[in-house]
Amino acid sequence: MEFVSLKNVSLNSKTLLLSELGYGSDGEFVLDNGGNKVIDKYIDIPIRVDNMVILPGSEVILDDNELSVSLYLEEYGEDAL
Amino acid sequence: MEKMPSEKFVSDALEGATKGALEWSSDKISSWIKKLKERKLAFIKEQKTIDIVKEQYRSGEGSFYQKYVADKELLLLIRMGLTLRKLENDKDRLMNLRDKIYKKYKAKGLHIAEFVQNRLLNRYVGILIDELDSLESLGRDIEDVLKNIEKHVLFVQGFEKPHDIIIKSMTIINSHSPNIFVVSGAKSAAQIVGEIRGKLASSLKDYELETISELEIENLFFKRILHKPL
Repeated sequence: MEFVSLKNVSLNSKTLLLSELGYGSDGEFVLDNGGNKVIDKYIDIPIRVDNMVILPGSEVILDDNELSVSLYLEEYGEDAL
Repeated sequence: MEKMPSEKFVSDALEGATKGALEWSSDKISSWIKKLKERKLAFIKEQKTIDIVKEQYRSGEGSFYQKYVADKELLLLIRMGLTLRKLENDKDRLMNLRDKIYKKYKAKGLHIAEFVQNRLLNRYVGILIDELDSLESLGRDIEDVLKNIEKHVLFVQGFEKPHDIIIKSMTIINSHSPNIFVVSGAKSAAQIVGEIRGKLASSLKDYELETISELEIENLFFKRILHKPL
């Protein structure tokens, strides 16, 4: 598994990345193609662009925290990352 | 899918470190998205988040509880407790994770995680092993204490009065008669727990007391004395 860090990446590049995946951004939050804030499906909070992770498996976008990542591994298996 | 060690961390941080924020080309993004769809790549923020989470799956403690705890939500909360312990020197991340656990699993879920974080579950299991009937019962007993944590453990808050804590303890014991009852306090609550230790010990005559003190944490383990039949 390769990990690409988003930590020091410009907002412009993150927005381009999201756009390629069918999402957008208002500069602060990740938005879906209807302009709605994308919610971390495990912990039910809107995902900030500066704290997002994009994981394999239907391009799962989550907040960067240990609980969301753990719940992701529960769903996709320990070897998913 | 070929698995590669997490240490193979691809970062362009150095490339752009002197230029400020990194700019990615469309071609680069497209090639990475192709790998993402092939499940060979993930976009992350902090490598530490991934490493800490995966460590809890591989650790001896995590593996032990995975063997005996079948309930998936309890097992996840155990792993969160281990993660909280790992983050004790990183207050911001620690508080962020506590907040996330509380929002999803409420106070009970956070108490279960704290029970693990503070090594109370390990000591509890140690007491269970001393009187073990079977390995099957060990798993059942671990799940029982976690599912009914409010009947086995009193988490003291720093603002509580000693008298109220004693009343609460007696109420729990009279209502549920647990074989093991724990009173736990951290930081300012640790001092309060220390203050009531003597009074509680003399009130709970059917229990023997074991005190486990750590830096800023005071835990009182009351273990029911089993009277042998005459």
